[in-house]
Amino acid sequence: MSDFLGYLLTGLGIGAGYALVASGLVAIHRVTRVVNFAQGAFAVVAAMLTSSLLAAGLPHGFAELTGVLTAALAGLLVGLVAIGRPGTTPGTSLIITLGLGIFAYAIEIVIWGDQPRSFAGVPGVAVVGGARLQAHYLLILAVTVPVFLAMAAFFARTDVGKALSACASNPYAALVVGIDVRRMGLLAFALGGALGGLAGVLTTPVQQVTFDSDVTLLVNGFAAAILGGLTRPVVALGGGLLLGVAQTLIAGYGGSAYQLEVALVLMLAVMIVQASRRGAVPEPAR
Amino acid sequence: MNVAEVAGLTVRYGGATALDGVDLTVAEGDLVALIGPNGAGKTTLVKALSGLVRPAAGRVTVRGRLAQVPEGREMFGDLSVDDNLRLGGWRNGRGGRDTTEIYRLLPALDGLRRRRAGLLSGGEQQMVAIGRALMARPDVLVVDELSLGLAPLVVTDLIAHLRTLNAERGLAVLLIEQNARLALDLCRRAYVLEAGRIVLHGPADDLAHNQRVTAAYLGGPVR
Amino acid sequence: MNRWLLVAAVVVTLALPPLLPERHLGTFVLLGLAATVTAGVSMLMGYAGQVSLGQASFYAIGGYAAGLLTVHGVPTLAGLLAAPVVAAVAAVLLGAPLLRLRGHHLAFATLAMQLILLSLLGRGDWAGGAIGLQGIPTLPVGGDLGYAYLSWAVLAVVLVISRNIVASRAGRGLRAAATSEIAAAAGGVAIGRYRLTVFALSAAFAGLAGGVYAFYLGYLSPGSFPVLLSIEFVVMAVVGGLGTIAGPVVGATVIVLLVQALNTLGTQPGMPGYAPSVLSYAVYALLLVVTVLYLPRGIVPAVTDRLVKERRP
Ligand SMILES: Nc1ncnc2c1ncn2[C@@H]1O[C@H](COP(=O)(O)OP(=O)(O)OP(=O)(O)O)[C@@H](O)[C@H]1O
Ligand SMILES: [Mg+2]
Repeated sequence: MSDFLGYLLTGLGIGAGYALVASGLVAIHRVTRVVNFAQGAFAVVAAMLTSSLLAAGLPHGFAELTGVLTAALAGLLVGLVAIGRPGTTPGTSLIITLGLGIFAYAIEIVIWGDQPRSFAGVPGVAVVGGARLQAHYLLILAVTVPVFLAMAAFFARTDVGKALSACASNPYAALVVGIDVRRMGLLAFALGGALGGLAGVLTTPVQQVTFDSDVTLLVNGFAAAILGGLTRPVVALGGGLLLGVAQTLIAGYGGSAYQLEVALVLMLAVMIVQASRRGAVPEPAR
Repeated sequence: MNVAEVAGLTVRYGGATALDGVDLTVAEGDLVALIGPNGAGKTTLVKALSGLVRPAAGRVTVRGRLAQVPEGREMFGDLSVDDNLRLGGWRNGRGGRDTTEIYRLLPALDGLRRRRAGLLSGGEQQMVAIGRALMARPDVLVVDELSLGLAPLVVTDLIAHLRTLNAERGLAVLLIEQNARLALDLCRRAYVLEAGRIVLHGPADDLAHNQRVTAAYLGGPVR
Repeated sequence: MNRWLLVAAVVVTLALPPLLPERHLGTFVLLGLAATVTAGVSMLMGYAGQVSLGQASFYAIGGYAAGLLTVHGVPTLAGLLAAPVVAAVAAVLLGAPLLRLRGHHLAFATLAMQLILLSLLGRGDWAGGAIGLQGIPTLPVGGDLGYAYLSWAVLAVVLVISRNIVASRAGRGLRAAATSEIAAAAGGVAIGRYRLTVFALSAAFAGLAGGVYAFYLGYLSPGSFPVLLSIEFVVMAVVGGLGTIAGPVVGATVIVLLVQALNTLGTQPGMPGYAPSVLSYAVYALLLVVTVLYLPRGIVPAVTDRLVKERRP
């Protein structure tokens, strides 16, 4: 039983990381209809930068924050290239983000090399209800939950948040009332960058990061987000947590590390079921 | 003085010309109708006035603020009625997004505040669209297809609202309508747009008795 | 004029291999194979409007099919012929559920397909596991020079097939489907079947190339088919020009030559050890982004347009 609780909490901690990546994908996709293939790179950049800053003797907190803000800036830059040119379709933007994700490899290797990196998080082991787990997982949860609450408040209570939702709901109407849809798209990219970056700095102490870790992060994030059709942040949170728990339980009881495969198969199944429900109607072009 | 004015306006979509040298003015406090068959270019003119399409030639001048009730209502379907209204005031900045006034003007919306706009009836949505446009505190309101899909009683109601707004606040209105009788009844001046050109314009009363207009838009001569 | 260009291209291709120094002959072989796979990607993206981020899966399936069969005693020629067939059959089986998806869903699905395949190959002892499949016999084609001609002959076959598909009724139907599915359906085009056909055909191209690759190297491992390889094929297709016949060849050539040149630069003394990989990542990324932004139809259509304009001023 305490095994189970330990797996559950660990899984929630891992899943929180996926949920953050997923919500970044959702934030960007809702507003711009672009699926951002560079989403995993934000996490990698933030994590690598944080590890450098910590190694240089900067304090925790400051280093992580700098990492997240840099990821937000990276998000903005990706957005500028991906949607900055008028008339770029979401499909074209997707290809651009794919290219930028690979470009990030070049930058990351030049700055940080191609070896895995990590840094210390919350040290030690926590005991919760008889279950032992790395204490850092609790920190991941303790940060992720308030972040999601803050995001919910941002979208529901502030005018900028509502304007972002408005662009997602009806971009033409947004233009009609004078919302600068492209600016909102860039804001969404910056937000997505920050969320990806946060996932990176939170999970790196328990899961070291390499320049090409972005594929795993991206796939897990997408698998979590697709449950909500890439448009519902709350479902993305649920999807991420569920995925994390499922993977940890399978790894824990199954004894083998088929973690990514779980995400992949789940993602395929969800998408195929969704598509057959829709009756394979073509996606609305925009 | 004219609050909105287009001169020699030409708009093309790719190769196709949607508007071809259109001249049209809306004066302060004016009530202007624009009628014409499907595909004439009416919505294109609205878009040009709102700066949503770029003219190939000609000028668009708007003095003061123009707001539009877009064709097809264009709700923020996932957002509440109140949020739809608030965002109508987006251009005003934070201080200008209070919706109290709109609920006083359009009391029917009051009971719908928290409802999702996408789930409202067509008439309710049209009311929201008007309220949203009014939130911008416009000097001229452009309404594209007021009556489309609405019950006659609802239309009468909306028309009455527009009349009141015009009389009490000097709001100028450019009304685009398939129901020409309705438009000509409400408005003082009218334009007829066909295939991208203004083919007739003048006082609404005159146009209402113009043979060409009665034949094409009013279902035969007036008895 | 077009015909002369074609003749010139064929003559150059035939004359080139004996003239190339030994160390460049390998690049020439791999270029022919990359262009072959890219021809399939280009057809898939250009005619069926589908982004596949998993085309290297079929390259791998073809390679492993040929490798496994011949390691177990099947004659090499039979192994080579089996490669495209196995890849196409796999594509039909996988495509039936996957092709219900569109756009980014399909992109992720094909990516997932490849990751799963890599994991299966990495864990499967029958396929040599992560270490790889060794001791694949070679084809009796007379060494590297023979492989150079073989790989480009394979490319020629694939291009001829593509050309015929493009000109066929199915090809026109697919082009309609790529632009507007509803319009195509209204026009009576059986999109689903065409889409699956193109998917299978593109897989067969990749599988055939993979078969040659297996015999050429004599050794395969999951690491030979990274996700990045699939993306490279997409880059080649996009840069060359989607849905054109010459596009895949031009795209693959431009990129392989550039990467090769930068590789030479990157391995100069004094350059850091990571230079070659950094340079090639940068090239793929920049070419892809710059092409879709500024030359959205790719090199070949852009050049043809210019030629046509010059002839008819
Ligand atoms: N985005 C567009 N791209 C290409 N053509 C367009 C576009 N929008 C409108 N058109 C064309 O321009 C012409 C004018 O269209 P517009 O929508 O302005 O007509 P309308 O007078 O509003 O018609 P309706 O009464 O049916 O609303 C039509 O022929 C239409 O097909
Ligand atoms: Mg219209």
